[in-house]
Amino acid sequence: MGLLSDPSISTHNKLVDSLAKHMRKLCYVFYTAGVAWFMCLALPEFNHGTYLSENALSPGLVYPEIRIDANRLALQLLEELQRERKDHQSTTPHAWIMAKFNEFGLETYTHNFTLRYPFGGGKEFHGKNVYGILRAPRIGSTEGLVFSAPYRPPSSVHDEITASVPVLLAFADFARRKNYWAKDLVFLVTEQEQLGMQAWLEAYHDGYKNYHSSSSYLVAGSLPARAGSLQAALNIEVQDLEVDYVDVKVEGLNGKLPNLDMFNLVQRIMAREGVTSGYKHAPRKRRRMNLSPYEQNLRQMLAMLATQATGVPNGNHGLFHRYRIDALTLSAAKRVTNSNVKSNPSSATVPLLKSIEGISRSLNNLLERFHQSFFFYVIVHNDRYISIGDYMPALVALIACSFVKAYLSWSTLDAAERHAQQDAAGNETDPVVFYTKLSLPYGFVLVYLVVTLVIGYMGNVLPLQKYLMELSIGAGPLTLTMLIALNVAGIALPFYVVLPPGGLELLHICMLLVYGCALIVIGLLNFSLGFLVAVLSVPMVVALNPSSTNGALRGLARLWALLLNPMVVIYTVVLVLTFYEFPELTFQQLLLRAVTAVMDAVTFALIDSVIYGNWLYFAACTVFFPLWIICWTLALAKQSDNEISQAKLKTN
Amino acid sequence: MNSNYYKLLLLGGAVRLYFSQTSLAPLIGNRVEFATPLNSFKRLQEGVFLLQQGVDPYRGDLVHESPLLLKALSGILINYAQVLPLLYILLDLCTATLLYLLGITFVKQKLQQQKGECEDYAKDTEELQYNDEDKSHIAELVLLAYLFNPLTIMSCIGLTSTVLSNLLLALILYSMVKRQLLICTVLLAFETVRNLYPFVLIAPLILLFARRSVPMGIAIFMIFVTSCFAVAGANFLVMNSWNYLDGTLGFIFFFRDLQPNIGLFWYFFTEMFEHFRTMFLITFQLNATVLYLVPLSLKLRKEPLLLATVLIALMAVFRAYPSLGDVGFYLALLPLWRRCWKFMAHGFVVFTFFLITLSMMGAFWHLWIYAGSANANFYFGATLAFSTGQIFLITDLLFAHVKREFCLYNGQKIMINGEEARILLE
Repeated sequence: MGLLSDPSISTHNKLVDSLAKHMRKLCYVFYTAGVAWFMCLALPEFNHGTYLSENALSPGLVYPEIRIDANRLALQLLEELQRERKDHQSTTPHAWIMAKFNEFGLETYTHNFTLRYPFGGGKEFHGKNVYGILRAPRIGSTEGLVFSAPYRPPSSVHDEITASVPVLLAFADFARRKNYWAKDLVFLVTEQEQLGMQAWLEAYHDGYKNYHSSSSYLVAGSLPARAGSLQAALNIEVQDLEVDYVDVKVEGLNGKLPNLDMFNLVQRIMAREGVTSGYKHAPRKRRRMNLSPYEQNLRQMLAMLATQATGVPNGNHGLFHRYRIDALTLSAAKRVTNSNVKSNPSSATVPLLKSIEGISRSLNNLLERFHQSFFFYVIVHNDRYISIGDYMPALVALIACSFVKAYLSWSTLDAAERHAQQDAAGNETDPVVFYTKLSLPYGFVLVYLVVTLVIGYMGNVLPLQKYLMELSIGAGPLTLTMLIALNVAGIALPFYVVLPPGGLELLHICMLLVYGCALIVIGLLNFSLGFLVAVLSVPMVVALNPSSTNGALRGLARLWALLLNPMVVIYTVVLVLTFYEFPELTFQQLLLRAVTAVMDAVTFALIDSVIYGNWLYFAACTVFFPLWIICWTLALAKQSDNEISQAKLKTN
Repeated sequence: MNSNYYKLLLLGGAVRLYFSQTSLAPLIGNRVEFATPLNSFKRLQEGVFLLQQGVDPYRGDLVHESPLLLKALSGILINYAQVLPLLYILLDLCTATLLYLLGITFVKQKLQQQKGECEDYAKDTEELQYNDEDKSHIAELVLLAYLFNPLTIMSCIGLTSTVLSNLLLALILYSMVKRQLLICTVLLAFETVRNLYPFVLIAPLILLFARRSVPMGIAIFMIFVTSCFAVAGANFLVMNSWNYLDGTLGFIFFFRDLQPNIGLFWYFFTEMFEHFRTMFLITFQLNATVLYLVPLSLKLRKEPLLLATVLIALMAVFRAYPSLGDVGFYLALLPLWRRCWKFMAHGFVVFTFFLITLSMMGAFWHLWIYAGSANANFYFGATLAFSTGQIFLITDLLFAHVKREFCLYNGQKIMINGEEARILLE
């Protein structure tokens, strides 16, 4: 019971004192342990093989029924669609899609939505989705599955995925002939990329909720018909009917993932049909790189972290997660012509169609929502994963640094005072006034924290003010100007505010606690973001020491803090990406290009946050930036009191 | 009552008023950490509506406020619904004032007591003794701790009836130190009929007023029981039926609502086999009420107010429907034991615990209820850790008190064979 009933009279603990002497070393041990643990997870001994946890998913693994005639239909539809596309350079051939839905005997509806783009004086964009419902013959419309295909007009800048719609239609034609459906099937063709999907989902779930409020930017409207509570969704992006490989995309909005069972199901069925598929699957050439399995695994993990950390869904499936609908995207890549594998075009899509059939039959058999397997995982390899229990220790070890440092700093605040008192007593001179824990400037520090928080929060609110949006400058320059102005304010703040005695130490401890809590919460909501931020910033936070007298170390901490300024981090990331994207540019051009890219990036982040509810921008403004200001303050350590007290000590 | 007091009070009121106007207020009113089935404002509204329609609110399973308060609030809610937040803020400020006065009186009494005992104290124990400065200092700390604790602020703007419970508890404590036996007992009876658990406070009451005379103790107990019956009778007169007893006390005792909260009951009772329910119900309720009552009363018989503080704290941890407002209330009482703080070793750890678990609760709740990816186990883990933190705090306070008592008489530096002495439990 030593923990609860410490038997010694004084609360002063020798262990804590000796630990405090090696505080920084201790923290770096934690840090190294965390990073090393994460690296170890790529070893096969540390991760697990995937397995289907939900038995109800097995029926899809039986003999598929879809035949070559479906492929023929898909080919024919694709030809028709290609002809239609000549007349619809920048729009969707709604009429043709609706006609096909009707022809196959689906209940066909359209859905209109409007985007009120608020910047630069305001504009309105209109869009239209088409969807058909196949009512379940076995049950009333209480549950549904969604099969969606995004449509991109020829003028789109993204990869062409025209073949998705024919594949979807061919599958719809097949599904309509079957009588075993226990859930309504919704076949959805969206336009305007994720905007259409978001609008459809909002309309499906919220109806007219936001219709009258002028504050909402996306007016989703309402749907004429619904298909019960949606259980799962499959988004199909097919570049060509001749499929080389299928990339399974799982990352959703704010880093949410579909249940691991769904990913496993897709993998199993694809494997059975002989379709090469996998998570982050790359073309054959790049797959042949001779890397050791460990290195491959680690790359896969890091790639997943990078995608997840942005919180931006990498396909239309990601928006479903917000409504607790498990969804993923099958992104089928085109076969390159010089490939040595020859295939017959008249049966090329059959494996893909068979897989879709298998997946849909499995999903059809679900008795309740996915709940058996993991929602928090990192995919190491196509058939290996790390569960939350295995990867969390890495993050916990990183975050533990800040709490350990906070605890030890707090305990030694007292010790420093005690030593000072002993010195004073030993010298028998006038007692120097030292601060005790109770008389620390709590109020001042609290106000300082609130001020930094307000500065950060402004970044969230200012660009969305009505009078600013009505100016005729674009969203990019506006947002960037605001953020730079706030950044300058943040950088300048420590130069104008002098903290009272003891304030720096208290601010330091408060920062460590807030930082730790923020990382915990962010790590729980989006592990990747939390982990990456922790890996980058923990060493700097550990190195910070406002009372240190080592000049070189303080210089280093300052430089480090400056490098971790959110804007600098964004700029660096964008610069590196630009460098890889356009290696032919000269250095100056590169720097300039990166500036415009940053402008786009922050604008997209802001728009994502207001339209889709991506909280990365919010977190960066309201959590990371204020914390950075405090770190910056501590790194500068404009510390009048310490100098004074040290001077006093010297005179003593 | 100096100017500082008014400034703080005004500032506290302003903070509450500001937040009650923001969108935070309805959000807090729906959070399970603050609004339990027992104290949520929504349920109160429901009760008022049912009363208005002439339906007995206690026949359903929604309303658990005591009839007298329900009637009183219904008058205000129907006629002046807009001023209700203002009323709650005023009541909260009253609580703060009462605690402030409690602090002043408490320190005065401590000083008097010290005068009698100071000859027995050891030499270097000035920092363990209450001094004249403490009179204003401790009271101000109490005021600060109550007015600016985010937990009490949130529970006030969420319009939870914890505000009323806190006011009643503050009144009970204040009348205790003012030696107003009758008022104290009647208020305690009223609060007992509302919330069941406060009946344990009869122990410090008897210790304080009976002063080792058994007949007096029995008399106080009889007064308490009689006033309980009187309050119950008054409630009956208001409602004209006894249904309310099952709706309030029965609802608490039988733990009928399994809605998650920060306590320990809900998870166990959702997981448990039905035929063990009775046994565990009794075990849990004993744990929340009398289990610690006897040993603590024996140990703390000379410090009834500390006993009351600890009992209130234990109540906030172990009761069936705890809310963060309860936690905020007993945290505000801690500055009274300012002179024990020197021996409280876990203060920082407990604070960090609170910070981490409270922020985790929000994240887990989101993941469980909205995102659907986490589950009840995650959330319960956070609440369990929160309760553990509170237990740490309470044990720390008790031990600090014991150590202070010991050091007051034996000095702070005791060396045995050149080593620092340690207190052992035997």
